[in-house]
Parts: sequence; C-alpha cells; structure tokens
Amino acid sequence: MSTPELVTVTVDDREIRIPKGTGLIETALACGVEIPVFCYEPRLGAPVGACRMCLCEVEGMPKLQAACTMTAQDALVLRTAQTSEKAAEGQRAILEFILLNHPLDCPDCDKGGECPLQDLTFRWGPGNTRMHFPKRTFDKPIPISPVISLDRERCILCYRCTRFSEGVAEDMQLVARNRGAQSIIATFEDEPYRAHFSGNVTELCPVGALLPATYRFRARPWEIDNVPTVCGLCPVGCNVWATTREGKVARILSRNHPEVDDGWLCDKGRFTFDHLRADDRIKQPLKRVRRRGFDPVAWEEAAEEAARGLGEAEGSVVVAFSGGETNEQAGALARLARQGLGSNAAIVPDDLDPAVDGFRAPLAAIRDAEVCVVLGDEPVVDRAPVVDLWLRAARRAGADVITIHPAGSIGVSPGSAAHVARSLAEPGTAPPEFRELADQLRDTQRVALVWSGDDHDRGRRAAALAAALGLGEGSGLYVLPRTPNGRGVSSAWRAAGEGRGEEPPEDGEIGALIVSGDEAGYDPRVARLSERARFVLTTAMFMGDHTLWSHLVLPGTSYLERDGTVVNLEGRAQRQRRAVDPPFPDELEFFAEVGERLGLPVSPRPDEPSPALQAELPPRSRPGALSEPAPPPSPNGTGPGLELVTYRSLFSGPGVERVEPLAFQRPRAELELSFADADDRGISTGDAVLVVGADGVGRELTARVNRRLRAGVVRVADEHADGFARHVEVGKV
Amino acid sequence: MPESDLYREIQRVADRYPVRRSAIMPALHLAQGKHGWLSPDALREVADALDLSPAYCQAVASFYDMYHLEPVGRHTVEVCTNISCALVGAQQVLEAFEEELGVHAGETTEDGEITLRTIECLGGCGWGTVVAVDHRYREPVKPEDVPGILEELRGG
Repeated sequence: MSTPELVTVTVDDREIRIPKGTGLIETALACGVEIPVFCYEPRLGAPVGACRMCLCEVEGMPKLQAACTMTAQDALVLRTAQTSEKAAEGQRAILEFILLNHPLDCPDCDKGGECPLQDLTFRWGPGNTRMHFPKRTFDKPIPISPVISLDRERCILCYRCTRFSEGVAEDMQLVARNRGAQSIIATFEDEPYRAHFSGNVTELCPVGALLPATYRFRARPWEIDNVPTVCGLCPVGCNVWATTREGKVARILSRNHPEVDDGWLCDKGRFTFDHLRADDRIKQPLKRVRRRGFDPVAWEEAAEEAARGLGEAEGSVVVAFSGGETNEQAGALARLARQGLGSNAAIVPDDLDPAVDGFRAPLAAIRDAEVCVVLGDEPVVDRAPVVDLWLRAARRAGADVITIHPAGSIGVSPGSAAHVARSLAEPGTAPPEFRELADQLRDTQRVALVWSGDDHDRGRRAAALAAALGLGEGSGLYVLPRTPNGRGVSSAWRAAGEGRGEEPPEDGEIGALIVSGDEAGYDPRVARLSERARFVLTTAMFMGDHTLWSHLVLPGTSYLERDGTVVNLEGRAQRQRRAVDPPFPDELEFFAEVGERLGLPVSPRPDEPSPALQAELPPRSRPGALSEPAPPPSPNGTGPGLELVTYRSLFSGPGVERVEPLAFQRPRAELELSFADADDRGISTGDAVLVVGADGVGRELTARVNRRLRAGVVRVADEHADGFARHVEVGKV
Repeated sequence: MPESDLYREIQRVADRYPVRRSAIMPALHLAQGKHGWLSPDALREVADALDLSPAYCQAVASFYDMYHLEPVGRHTVEVCTNISCALVGAQQVLEAFEEELGVHAGETTEDGEITLRTIECLGGCGWGTVVAVDHRYREPVKPEDVPGILEELRGG
C-alpha cells in the first residue's frame, strides 16, 4: 500500500497534517476538538448528514456545513462552535429543533444518564425553548419485537437504526415510513423485527427511542457496574460489557473489538443472559437415590462421592466436553482424567488440526478480502453470526463472495463440501465451474476461505485447500467450530496427556462418564454412553433429559460467572471475567476438591497459565494425509423424494431455550423448499405440507419457498427434523 | 406455486437496470396497476420479485404521493394544494369537491366510485388550481367547475 498523501487542515486555529480524505470529525478530534454528532457513525457506511448537529463554518463557504459529510482537503480551514459564534448559534438552533417534539421525559427514560441527546443538550444546547404548542404524541412504547421497544416521541430521526438494518445487517426490516416530519421508524405491518442482529439498534440509538425491553426500568446508570468480558455463546468470542446491578446481570453491551466484532453483537449474545435465572437452574449437588429421583447433598459429600465413583472406575473413564468450558476448566478436568485417573478417552468437540492455525488471520481481514469463499451446509449466521456481517461488509466493499452449499451462489448437494474442496485444490479433473473458480482464487492476492460445516478431517481438508490455493499474507482460513471454546478445550485436552488420546470405547461397560456441561449432555452420543456407564458425573446448569441418567449432578456455571481464558475461531485467546458470582463453588473449585482426594493437585483458580495457549504458529503448509471424502451424493438423490439438509439454528441450545423473550426467534416448524420443487407440487409459502421420511414418519410443517435453494433439496431446522431420514417425500396437505 | 404475471413483468423491468433493486418504483407501479392499491400482499409480491424486504418496499411506497397504501375508488380526483394553487383558491376548490362528494380529502365515496385526495405540486403552477382527474389534468379549476367535472366523471 502506498503512503497516503498528507494535507494541511486548520481546525480552530490549530494546524494539522493529516491523510487526505480523513473525515472532518476525526480530523477535529486529532486536533483535540470535539464536534458533537448524532447520526454520524462510520461503521454504518457513508455519512448522511441527517441530524445537522455537526454544523461548522468552513472558510470560503457561505453557509454552515455538516462537518460529518466532508473530508480533509489541503488548506481547508474549519471553525467549530468553539471559536465560531455562527457555528455555535447554528448548533443551538439545531438542538432546539431536535427537541421541538422530544418529550424531555428524562427522569423516567431508561436512557437518562447515558444519553447522547441529554449530554449534548447540556453541553451545547440553548437551555430553553420557544415551543408553545402541544408536542406530537404517539402510542408508546411500541414493542417492535419482544426484546426491543420503540418510543416514537423520543425519536429524533437520525436514521442510524434503519441504516444498520439496510446497510450492515442487510435484513431491511426496520425502515422509515412516510416522509419529512411525518416519518416514523417501523417494521412491515408492525410484524416483530425478527433478525439475528436486531439488538444492535438499541445501542446505536442516540436517544431513548429504541431500548432493550429486557432492561426497561431495571437499572440506573449510577447504580450499575460494567464488567468487561467475552461472550461465551459462539466461537466468534465478541467482546462485551456485562452490565450488573446488585449482583445480577441486567444487560449485555458490545465492547468494540475492531478485529473481532467491529462493535456488533448477535441477539443470542445480547439477550441470553437471563438464562442465569432460569427456574430449573441447578443450585446444589444432587445425588441419585432411586431410579430417576435426586436428593440434594452437601458439597463435601458430593466431592467424596465423585472421588469414590471415579476411583472405582479403575481407569475406565470417559470425559465428554461441551466445548464451552474455559481453557482452565478443561485443563483441570483433562489432567484429572489423564494424569489422575489414567484414562485417555474423551468426546472432544472441534478438535481441529494445528495445520488450520497456519492460515490464521483476524476476522477483520475478511472485509479486506477480494474474494471470499464459503463452503459447507451450515448457515454461517447460525454458527458464527458476526462472521456473516464481515462477509456482507466484504461484499459491500466490492469483494466477490462465493457461497457453495445447497442455497449458495453455487448450489451443490448437501454434504459436498469436502468434494468441492478437493475439486478446488486439484482442479485438473474438476467440473469447469470449479476449475474457473480455482484459477480465480490462485490469481487473487487476498482470499478469505470460510468453512462452515462438518470439520472434515478435523479441518485438514480446509487447510489442504488453503495450502493448494497458496493463501498468503492478507488471506485467511476460517474453520468455524461448532462450539464456543472447542478449540481451547481440545488444546487443553491434548496438552494434558499424550496427544489426542482415544475415542470412547464402542461397546462394553464404562467405569465412569464425566459429562461436562449441558451441551455435552444434549449430545446423543453422550446419552448412549451414559447408558453403559457404572457412574455418571454431570455438571449442568439445568435439569432436563440430559441429567436424568446421572448418578451425581453438580451445578454448572455460565460464561458470565467464570474467570478464565477462551480461544475463538481465529485461534485468538481472550479473557473471560466473572461478571456475577455463581451462587455456589464453580466447576474448577469442585474438581480441585476431587483432585485433592485422588492425590492430584489442581488449582481451584484459573491462575496456572494454560498450556492450551500455543505460542508459535505452524507454517502455512499442506497438512498430512487426508482421508477420502464420502462418496458424492448423486445429483438426483439416491433415494426417492427430496434430499434433506438440516441445520442448527443460532437460537437453539440449553441457555437460549430458557429465555422467554427470545422464544420468537426460535426456529419455526418450517420446511424450506426450492422454487422448482414447490412449483411441481403446487406449494406456496405458508401452505401446510406433510413431510414423510423413508422410515414412514410423517410430520406437518409450514412451507417456505426459498428461491436460492437448489432443486431437489429441502431444509429444516434440527428441532423439527426429528425422525426424518436423509430423503423425504413432501406433499401439500 | 406458479410464477405470477406480475412477477414476470417485474423481472422484465428489472433486467433494464444495472442494479435490480433500482426497479422498485416501476415495480410498485405495476403492482398498483394490478391490485388497484399497494396492499400488504402486493408489497410482498414486489419484495419477492426484487429480492427485497416488504418493509423496504413499504418504506419507498409511503414516501411518494402517487402510491396508494389504502384502497382507492374506481376514479381518483387529486387537488393540488401546493403554494401556487393555494394562492388562487385551491382550498375552496377542495371544499367544493368535499361538499359535492360528501367525503373528506383522503376518503372514498360510499359507493366506492371516487377517491378525493390532496396532492403536492403537479407542475401546472401557471394555471392553478390544478386538479388531476384519473391522472388527466384539468386547469384552471374554479369551485363552480366542480359539479360539471363530477357529472362528467360519473356519466362517463
């Protein structure tokens, strides 16, 4: 990159040399001068100059200018309200206008105390009003979704929220209806704003118009603490503030990390915190006394019982990880099992090959890529939501974004990712469309390769493709793990013994099974193992089917209640801080107790540096041997009917399922089908359809026609695909 | 789900634009022509055809005066009340229409025949008051012309 041309700009008599094209708001800041703004937010794209709060005097221009829409040019002389009475008068007038219809209900507005409108009015406003007429009124608050409420009286029409909806998340659901002074912020036909990133508008709103409904009347700014931590709900690891009041989490806000999340959060990360207070939260150790009956026991007794059960297993122990543990928790458990109990068997999610790390790049590099390729059947937005925003940002910046899956820009059969990867890596015999793409990728300097599906060969297939394409500086490989800290957990497991250890035994009795966390309990493989185990020790936050087979259940903690480190999908280690104290000792303390009884010292605090944090990266090279991909699905499907592809919705999982206000985001009982298949069967969106699997199981679902979906494929969320085989028959009811 | 005629017509229009969503205004016009007004279902059809959201289509439609977001009568009478027409008595013309039709501006007669609306400048400022009857201009219109216009409309 060439060095930018520097120009000289004068702001309030202070001269500065600054790259040409820098926004005037930033230029002034660099001079130590603040220009107040409402609508200006560079992350929302080009400035719009809607609020006029930034009016300034520019030498040579007769009228006041909106500074946010201008950039640094040589010899530009800017006078802000600090030195120009004309600009100050302009700003006062603008604030008077903005406040014309504003209700000034700060004493009972949740934004009060942390409100840009309030702050700027105090600092720059006229301090009085000439408005003698009744102010405009609206019904309020209007729930634009169960998690967001809208107060139209407070809205100053800065259009930040609608710009986010149109230009960042691109859901285009929140819009400004009507024109001029009659404009209102609205959704279509007042339907709920149902999108993965809707909550961001509550943080963008510079007044109290869009607020999280879950925070309404919950706390005041002077009685809260904001704890800096990292979200533990998906492998992106967005940086957040956990707002707490009196020891309870009241809200989650973004804590902008420009390389990871750019200040955006998904609705799962923002609103799931309430699961800490779920009714079925386990609060004390429970011991099974009769079949399916549990009695509370004291912690001492629980530790005793755990040490006994694990000791009697005589090395026949299996650990099932959730992938949501901190590195330190996973490390403690791994050492307990591998060094203390002499076991090497575990279920470890997302055990990626270190070859993947050779192609590390920050998530922000996706935005700067020239070509992005997304491979795999899992929707990126459901597996690692913010990655979807980076891909959209890349497309807006002019990148070619190529998605290869059943609903992608190149439509392929479900389960074809490994085949496509091989075709792109060895294009000699590949179909022409992949040969052309492979050529394009080899000729491109900055490529972002996103793998969103089964971790074929533990990421080696993806790494082999990255190596074959010669991904170099500026390019990155992003294998999206299934679990939030799967990468850290698997590293911790490997570091505690000799390599990866073993898979759990296929059959026969198991001495003891340790189920670490609710997600592990939800895994059907773990459920099958638990039936063969003499002793099942489970740590879980909630009671449910997944805890019923346990002999001993310990209360589990949430990521908001822990201290430790986690590794995100980039391979970046980040610190999770305890926002609120769990109402009981956390897992680490308990396993330290058990370790002591078994003669293996484990620290009860996350103070030992985790061996999981690798210091050196492997080179960008081809990984070792690859396994043969499964035979490709035949174009028309091998069985009768349509090929089924299922996916796990972002709004699924033990925590989010327990948050009532997010129930509207849960996946609908819906079958997506291609236009051609819908046309053949006379099905329209909204029709009831009967879906019958090869095994004869039938279920009624609602049809939704997806024009992007490849013909011959239907898609259903995991929750609604129970009992379906790989091929289904679909007919109109 | 057979593709509707409207869907195909919108595709033909969209093909003429480098960016397909730029076809939103002609597409809304086509939908209005087919449905008479831009009902929620009509907006959904346009959104589906251009791969936009219904909310976005509604936002565009609500910005402009000549898209109808409420059902309208078989005929429309649109009285310009912008500055030039207002200076030469548009208000009196409007009131004459209201009296003759028995409805307020923005309403439709009970028999569903005629919708009366006010409208922004129609570009006939030299010949105020301008009234668009079924999109054909009548100018200049005086209050006493109103019964004749309506008779003609009902008769034809």
